[in-house]
Amino acid sequence: MSTVDDSPLLRVEDLRVEFPTEDGVVKAVDGITYEVGRGRTLGVVGESGSGKTVTAMTILGLTRAQGGRITGRILFEGRDLLSLDEGELRKVRGNEIAMIFQDPSTALHPLYKVGAQIVEAVRAHRDLSKAAARKRTIELLGLVGIPDPGNRVDDYPHEFSGGMRQRAMIAMALANEPKLLIADEPTTALDVTVQAQILALLERLRGELGMAVMIVTHDLGVVAEMADEIAVMYAGRIVEAAATETLLNSPEHPYTWGLLRSIPKLDGPRVERLEPIPGSPPSLIDPPSGCHFHPRCEYAQPDHARIDPELLPLPDDPAHKVACLLEPKVRRKLWEESV
Amino acid sequence: MSPTRQLAAAAIAGAFALGLAACGSTSSISGGSGIAVAKGVQTPRTEPQSGGRRGGTLTVLNHTDFEQLDPGLAYYNIDYEVVYATQRPLFSYKPNTFSEPSPDMASEPAQISGGGRTITVHIRKGVHFSPPVNREVTSADVAYAIERGTNGNVGNPYFPSYFSSLVGAKQEIAEEKGGPFPGITTPNRETIVFHLTEPKAPIVLAALVLPLSAPVPEEYAKRYDAMKPTEYGNHQVATGPYMLKNDSAGKVLGSGYVPGKSATLVRNPNWNPKTDFRPAYLNQIDIELGGDTTVIGRQVLEGSDMVQNEAPAQPTVRLAYEKFRSQLELSPGAGDHYVAVDNKQGPFAKVDVRKAFWAALDRVAMNKARGGELVTNVMTHFIYPEIPGFEQAGGLKGPRVDYNDYPQGNAAVAAKYMRLAGYPSGKYTGGKALQIVGSNESPSSEDAEIVNQTLKNLGFATKLTLVESSVMYSKYCGTPAEAIDVCPNVGWVADFGDPQAVLDVAFNGKNIVSTGNNNWGQVNDPEINKAMEAAELIVGTQARANAWAQIDRKLVARAVAIPFDWDKQPSIESKDVAGVGDLWNTGSWDYSFTSLK
Amino acid sequence: MTRYIVRRVLWGILLLILVTALMFVLFRILPTGDPARLRAGRNASPKAIAAIRHDLGLDKSLPAQFWIYMKDVFLHFNLGYSYYSNAPVRGLIAERLGATLSLMLGGAAIWLAVGLPVGVLSALRRGSRLDRVSMGTALVFVSAPEYWLGLIALYLFAADIGQVKIFPGAGSYVGLTSDPWKWFTSLLLPWLVLAAGSAAVYARLMRGSLTETMGEDYIRTARAKGLGERRVVLRHGVRSAINPILTILALDIATLLGGAILVEVVFDIHGIGLLAYTAIRHSDLLVVQGTVLLGALFVVVANIVVDIAYAYLDPRVRYS
Repeated sequence: MSTVDDSPLLRVEDLRVEFPTEDGVVKAVDGITYEVGRGRTLGVVGESGSGKTVTAMTILGLTRAQGGRITGRILFEGRDLLSLDEGELRKVRGNEIAMIFQDPSTALHPLYKVGAQIVEAVRAHRDLSKAAARKRTIELLGLVGIPDPGNRVDDYPHEFSGGMRQRAMIAMALANEPKLLIADEPTTALDVTVQAQILALLERLRGELGMAVMIVTHDLGVVAEMADEIAVMYAGRIVEAAATETLLNSPEHPYTWGLLRSIPKLDGPRVERLEPIPGSPPSLIDPPSGCHFHPRCEYAQPDHARIDPELLPLPDDPAHKVACLLEPKVRRKLWEESV
Repeated sequence: MSPTRQLAAAAIAGAFALGLAACGSTSSISGGSGIAVAKGVQTPRTEPQSGGRRGGTLTVLNHTDFEQLDPGLAYYNIDYEVVYATQRPLFSYKPNTFSEPSPDMASEPAQISGGGRTITVHIRKGVHFSPPVNREVTSADVAYAIERGTNGNVGNPYFPSYFSSLVGAKQEIAEEKGGPFPGITTPNRETIVFHLTEPKAPIVLAALVLPLSAPVPEEYAKRYDAMKPTEYGNHQVATGPYMLKNDSAGKVLGSGYVPGKSATLVRNPNWNPKTDFRPAYLNQIDIELGGDTTVIGRQVLEGSDMVQNEAPAQPTVRLAYEKFRSQLELSPGAGDHYVAVDNKQGPFAKVDVRKAFWAALDRVAMNKARGGELVTNVMTHFIYPEIPGFEQAGGLKGPRVDYNDYPQGNAAVAAKYMRLAGYPSGKYTGGKALQIVGSNESPSSEDAEIVNQTLKNLGFATKLTLVESSVMYSKYCGTPAEAIDVCPNVGWVADFGDPQAVLDVAFNGKNIVSTGNNNWGQVNDPEINKAMEAAELIVGTQARANAWAQIDRKLVARAVAIPFDWDKQPSIESKDVAGVGDLWNTGSWDYSFTSLK
Repeated sequence: MTRYIVRRVLWGILLLILVTALMFVLFRILPTGDPARLRAGRNASPKAIAAIRHDLGLDKSLPAQFWIYMKDVFLHFNLGYSYYSNAPVRGLIAERLGATLSLMLGGAAIWLAVGLPVGVLSALRRGSRLDRVSMGTALVFVSAPEYWLGLIALYLFAADIGQVKIFPGAGSYVGLTSDPWKWFTSLLLPWLVLAAGSAAVYARLMRGSLTETMGEDYIRTARAKGLGERRVVLRHGVRSAINPILTILALDIATLLGGAILVEVVFDIHGIGLLAYTAIRHSDLLVVQGTVLLGALFVVVANIVVDIAYAYLDPRVRYS
């Protein structure tokens, strides 16, 4: 996995996204910073309402129309995407950065043929004739594993199965060989068996095309296989980020502990009860002061309600960052005790 | 005699009277009848009869279509506008009179002889039919025209009323073949003689102003009169200054007349002005049918070379009176409106109950609903203005009896008559509920409501039904068997300027028929019947006027019906039209006398 | 698909037969004018009326009359004879159809050209001043009675009676073939009046439909593909939003082809609507029946056309 260029492909710096609503200002993203390396896979994990989807959409500027306030920087190959105007941003969308969405049955236009929609994606950024674009489309459909692509290119979305639709969406996203693919809950709407296929596909394509992938999901299991790094979001903030192995084996944040404990294990004893994290995700209009997690954290101290934790690297592993006010030594002891 | 056309009346509607009743500054202008017409408004009597220039095309905008244009069938004022411009009956009225007909197809006044049983008329020479017939008119053509009134395919509405005294006519009416019959003879090309079974010459003579006596060429019309119904109207030829445009075969339908769309009158090339008293200034008359009446009103008032030849909508009359007064004409003697009550049975069989109702009714309110003082006068007896006998019967104020003296109604007088009728409380205490059938069109519907309320105030229980006016006439009020107690929306327009034409059919007991009855109140007073029979035979305008005026007074004394409105019909013209209205046809613009300025 | 079309057409014919039958029965039951009496004239004698009744076949039994009428209409396309206009009904309708078509097609073109873009813009700028003004105006025009609007238009803009004399006044309509320029100018004001209410309706419809559509996921996908906003709105948004509107449009046109009565009366345009109106007033039953049948025919055809078109407009729709 050697890359010519070590600088990160995408670097999000102190991103804040706020939306004014009737009930108040929603702080969807409350100051997050992360990176995606070239050819690497980042998993962004969190509950619904954690701000993970907003993060992803903001990268492509898809949240601009909602009248929110966006501050921070989103550096893509050195350029701050937030400073680009619509016209410039359009050149990036579907071209250098592509995105696929959760529900492929509603994400494709029902009245146009699948092939036509992919051709449209191609011709939006390349000066190709219709015939050439069609050829490329058939190629892409084959690439994502759709059988008989020469005929299926003229089918309508409703003539595809759920899994095939998602493959078609992926084909559309890959049309212009993006450097970064953002996948927002790519498998949530699919059957379990199909999920595995899609993930396998994504993995294969990433390897073949050398692109970076950012998977946004609530399902740790999805990113456990695929991601190189994982960032855990809670209430608009990143609470922990680490290499996948590290996060799964030695997580440092109580929220992450909770997430891991609530996943059923195939090899665990049957009698073992699933432990959900007590309480519910906080409102983003009026998040808890200080550490956003403190109301649900069993280890919270009084002053955790006053101090905002910073996302800091661990002394012995700079790649592993945690935003927690507990002492590292204390945390390690707690984790070892519970395992 | 025709029941007042509902459409003509309906145009004058609603509450516009509120504004106008107050400002009707009336100075009596129309001579002769003493009927007040608002200041600054012309009448058929006051309009200059010598017109503007020769030539030009007059455009007529009418919302209402014609009923019948065949001279043997035409019977309504809108039909007459076309018929009298194209057909020449034996006698016709000049525009500003309704009592002295002038010889038209006749060359001189008729001669009555044989004790009132023979009428001899001389036909004018040099009058020709229009193309494609072209030949000179003879007495045989007049005979055929009148005879076809008995043809079942023609269906003339007034032949039985006026011409059944012709010898052999009664049988002819029953057979419906169309004559000829002995009552009409033509000793030579220029003479026609009428032989009567009874000395009823005056009424027969008077009826010769009706279009039935306009000549019809038998050899040309026969084949059309054989069709059911006759097609002669769609192929008619003319003797007047104008003709309906036709093709070379004589077909009028499709060019001269397109039902629902238009009618076109062009000059009759065979008309000789030396034989006619009509000046005929215009070259062509284009009649356009349909459209919205208020829009038509504005188009005529603000445009040029146009008239509306039917009663305009009420906002139009108000607009004309306020802003275009010189373009408005009012014609008194345009007919009347009264309430018919059942004289034969029910509560109104008692004369005192009838008098009570007469006293109670607010005639001013009834007229306000129809447009107020501008277009109505309070009706106080039965012969109406411009008809000989009007003054003798009491003129505007009418016979001075207490139930007639209070146009706005007088409850005390009403109560007095109720008591006389046998209701000591002054209100009706009998059990029967009154059946009242009126018209559902405004303003008649409003009048029906006022009548309903008045009767309720007199203590009656009432059942008021409002229907379409033709249904009201044909199904209810015109059918004695239905025994309708009160018909508040009936009225009359005389066929010609003789008081018999106003009173006879409506109030003579012998004229009650089982269907299509026009004696709506089933008035059958033997004394009045006898007086009418005698008056029918009197010769001489003045003498007849006096005799029928006496009958009118008797009708008032017997309160046979409750009068309320003498109509003054409005008509409008553009500013550059020198319109001449026919007093004898509700003031409608006469195409043979009207010109462009 | 062919089987579907055939089935729909057969049902359509059955429906027309039912409508005609129903009308036939209604007119015999309701207390309207007697055709023989009306044909004979108001003052005809009973004998004459009886003769005409016999000629018209009205003295036959009701089922016999019904059978003859239905045969005439459906086998010979003979709609009878108008007593009032003295002409065959079929001819009258054919004569008047041109005027109604002219009125309707022009009106439809205008209301679509105005209403749809206004609706699109309003949907895109919801809540803006443009949106509120245009929807408010639309509400006024939707509520305004057509007849009243026609009168107001004449009083404001007619060359003969208006305040600002621009357009030809009422009664100035002529056929296209007799004078194309006059035909065109005389229709401008009626087109505007006819279009006013409908443009408002369609603007509101489009606004609603497009607003809903723009919230769909595939719009987000389109943007994520990097497409220009114009393309997103038109080819992805409007393309979906317009489907329900086309259904309504087809039915609207069909109904209007039966005669835009109010506009035709106010402007005195001799089309099917005015024909029907006059016929009703004169109890000219066969003409009324003819126009009703024509209207029903248009609606039936429009329904079938829309259903078939939908199979092309929306590939998810399948007919068996």
